[in-house]
Amino acid sequence: MTDYAVRITRLSYTYPDGTKALEGIDLDVLVGERIAIVGPSGAGKSTLLLHLNGILTGTGSVKIMGSNLEESNLKEIRKEVGLLFQDPNDQLFCPTVYEDVAFGPLNLSVPAAEIPRRVDKALNDAGLDHSIGSRSSHHLSLGERRRVSLATVLVMEPAILGMDEPTSNLDPRNRRHLIEVVSGLKATLIIATHDLELVLDVCSRTVLMDQGKIWADGETHDMLANAGLMGKHGLEVPLSLRSGVRST
Amino acid sequence: MRHNFIDRYAALDSPLHLLEARTKILAFTGLIVAVLFIPVDSGILFFVYFFATAVLMGISQVPLGYIVGRTLFILPFIVLASLAAPWHGYMEVGALFIRAVLCLMLLILLTNTTRFVELLRGLKKFGFPQILVMNLSFLYRYLFVLTEEAMRMKQARDCRRVGRAPFRKELKILSSMLGTLLIRSFEHAERMHSAMLSRGYSGDFPLISRRRFSWNDLAFLCGVAVFITSTFGLR
Repeated sequence: MTDYAVRITRLSYTYPDGTKALEGIDLDVLVGERIAIVGPSGAGKSTLLLHLNGILTGTGSVKIMGSNLEESNLKEIRKEVGLLFQDPNDQLFCPTVYEDVAFGPLNLSVPAAEIPRRVDKALNDAGLDHSIGSRSSHHLSLGERRRVSLATVLVMEPAILGMDEPTSNLDPRNRRHLIEVVSGLKATLIIATHDLELVLDVCSRTVLMDQGKIWADGETHDMLANAGLMGKHGLEVPLSLRSGVRST
Repeated sequence: MRHNFIDRYAALDSPLHLLEARTKILAFTGLIVAVLFIPVDSGILFFVYFFATAVLMGISQVPLGYIVGRTLFILPFIVLASLAAPWHGYMEVGALFIRAVLCLMLLILLTNTTRFVELLRGLKKFGFPQILVMNLSFLYRYLFVLTEEAMRMKQARDCRRVGRAPFRKELKILSSMLGTLLIRSFEHAERMHSAMLSRGYSGDFPLISRRRFSWNDLAFLCGVAVFITSTFGLR
């Protein structure tokens, strides 16, 4: 029997102002799979991610690890699905890094004695030293803030990790560091991004979204190398594929 | 603006810093209330409380220059407040001024011997409303984010204008900037709320307490209580 981490069926969502963000989305993601969602701005990528743990609820069905996403099991679903937001300032709202990382487990009633170990492990998994815990996130560089944001999600030990533009605004070194960290994660990954080089590095499967619909779903390399398909949806073939730097 | 604008020296490890937040909140509140009740004509009591504050400053290791600087920073407001009540006579105005300065120094000492988050924990443990504590925590975290946002907007405005506009036009630009900042803050708050929900937030804002109430706390509280009682008994 196939194990699905996410099963989305006929999902549609319209924002209160009448903007149709998602229209009849069907998407299955296997346990342990790493998929990228690419598409132009306003395609509905972030909106789709927000449906994975019930922040937004549209029509249609969303199943997470076999359970239907419903009001009654939101707490369990949010244990399973971690979301990394685009702007770390949205994700880091506590006075210190330690408190930010511990926020999720405390809400999930993890025993107090267990918290320090989990916080240290999450910081370590995100490539950070535990001494950063006492600092205010306002004092950190953007790269550090991004990794602390990742730690705030990893600490909840999610089975599925949704990431919204994880490499945006990062300098090349921090970007490379984040890609290394993300590549080492064991969770099912769903990455919404414009960074097609990241997609080539991390994801084996890519879904192309535009105007709230899925237009293509397939093997990453084949899809990103398809200049016609990419051009039709406002995207470009990544430089490394155009110049032949990357072997197929 | 620096992020540790409020509690720059709160990370020191003087005996005062090592006390639990609730102890300091209680003790400093007691001292402030006592200062407010010092009779106008009791010069000796004013002196005793100044001396006690100086002793606490010495124990805290917070630089004297910093406390004086901060006090001077707010001094104009105290002077204005004192001058606003001249009908009480010089003695009353002088007493009002000294009380305000003493209270201010004690507050600066409290906020610089206790990390802001510890203060919030203390307030929460004293039963302060959850929503108030949470908002103060957000204020501490986001005040500087918003300040930076405002500074960036100001820079963007300065880049696109030559010379100063007439006052009315300046006012119009400023109001539209404030409006934009408000909308951005609102959007920011919405995204933050989503991030909180996705990490299991259900109404309770957990704050981790690292310090425990100890014998030192009890001793300090007793000391302050004895001091206050004896100083008023002295009179």
